[in-house]
Amino acid sequence: MNALLDVVGLSAGYGPLSVLDKLSLQVAEGEVAVILGSNGAGKTTTMRAISGIIARTGTITFAGKRIDTASADAIVRAGIAQVPQGRGTFPELSVVDNLRAGAYTRKDGEIAADIDKWFSVFPRLDERKDQRAGSLSGGEQQMVAIARAMMSRPRLLLCDEPSLGLAPLITKDLFDTIARLNRETGLSVLLVEQNANLAMSIATSVYLIETGRIVASGSAEEIAGNDSIRKAYLGY
Amino acid sequence: MDLPNLSELLQYIFDGLSTGAIYSLLALGLVIVYRGTGHLNFAQGEMATLCTYIVWVLQDRGLPLFIALVVGAVIGFVFGAGVELTLIRPVAKKSPFAVLIVSIGLFLGINSLTNGIWGAPPDEAMGSLFPNEPGDLLKIGKASLRYEYIGVLLVGLALAGLLMVLFNKTRFGLAMRAVASNAESSKLVGISTHRVLMASWGLAAALGAVSGTMIAGINDQVTPGMMFGIFVYASASATLGGLDSIGGAVIAGLSIGVVENLAANIFPDWIGQEMRLGVALLIILVVLLFRPTGLFGSSKVERV
Repeated sequence: MNALLDVVGLSAGYGPLSVLDKLSLQVAEGEVAVILGSNGAGKTTTMRAISGIIARTGTITFAGKRIDTASADAIVRAGIAQVPQGRGTFPELSVVDNLRAGAYTRKDGEIAADIDKWFSVFPRLDERKDQRAGSLSGGEQQMVAIARAMMSRPRLLLCDEPSLGLAPLITKDLFDTIARLNRETGLSVLLVEQNANLAMSIATSVYLIETGRIVASGSAEEIAGNDSIRKAYLGY
Repeated sequence: MDLPNLSELLQYIFDGLSTGAIYSLLALGLVIVYRGTGHLNFAQGEMATLCTYIVWVLQDRGLPLFIALVVGAVIGFVFGAGVELTLIRPVAKKSPFAVLIVSIGLFLGINSLTNGIWGAPPDEAMGSLFPNEPGDLLKIGKASLRYEYIGVLLVGLALAGLLMVLFNKTRFGLAMRAVASNAESSKLVGISTHRVLMASWGLAAALGAVSGTMIAGINDQVTPGMMFGIFVYASASATLGGLDSIGGAVIAGLSIGVVENLAANIFPDWIGQEMRLGVALLIILVVLLFRPTGLFGSSKVERV
């Protein structure tokens, strides 16, 4: 298995506060990797460090190239897009401008066609394309955030707790969409979730994170089959 | 109270629109910086004065004024971008108040600089971009619309229009709006927020060069303190327009220009030239009492 994303010994934090302690993980091409862990374990920090939003040390290799010293915009260009925690939209911009901004790194002529494509994936957004993204419902904003991230045509999509604050039915829809993108386009996904059961339903591999380090990892079946892990993280 | 006749009314409104156009241009500089970082740049007026002196130097060396202005605006752009890079960015990480202090320091620093170099007599005589001989005017009834004022108004409106196009129709404008809306998400879509902020400061300084040169043309000279009053009106316009609205800054600038000019001329005894600024501030106070986001500012409403 050739890792698309290979993170080794990643440390990062905020000022004097260190959150990640030499964390390592891999995402293979075409898989859905899930990071499970409690609040404050370092899930969001991991995502921000990979995307280059915060300072970090360690090696991060993506598609054979080192990206651990690259700037955030270079990382987007390399093929990583992130749906950040909360609503990763531009609330004051219209829905269609949000998607245009998502294609900021692209210079090809297919941006308009891609916008149409994502409007067909999320027809609700097509109806609201001229509304300010901030006026949409939480579920619709999360659709905007995902479409916005996909507009850069990433090979790897980082999703930081897409279920946060959403109704269960809407969350289920979103996860179906993510799973479908993975299945139909071969998009690799690294997903952070607190809703472990939901995340496990689409995961191929799972990482458990505690106080900034990976404490256990394995395929979704292995993790689900391990009684002590299942009790601690999945709660049944 | 002197009730104006129709010609006088036209005259007051026209003169007001023309000075209002200059307030608008400087206000646009404030708005562009505010949108990027949420800071009011107290040095906007002094940056404009410095740029105007550069234009004056180039003109004094024999360059045609229009060319001197273009070169001065380009130098202003580089200067503004440099200020963001070297002074604002390092302290912006620390605290918003630090930026405020730096911009006040910049205000004082540039003011001392221009005073030190050009403050002593003789006055630095500035030409006008437009015909400004005593007879260069358009007569409508008894009102005389000076070509220079018409020119200032047209340049102001044209630049505001260009900025609207830049903001709403170009890739760079999209980046500026994205950074104003959500800086972290901007980074996540690959926008270099550093470059956007530098360009915003550069653009603001270049606009200052234009407004300063037009004011100096009307005054026939450049003086170190020439932007003090204009800056107060400009920040009033930016506030009234909503601080983050391009169109708002233009409309507010023109309105303030007209209202203060009408008030000063209709009540020459108890408002007159000395109390003009008070009128502008009164309007702002009243508007902000009822609309805290200004006339056209976007309220930060977000459903979660």
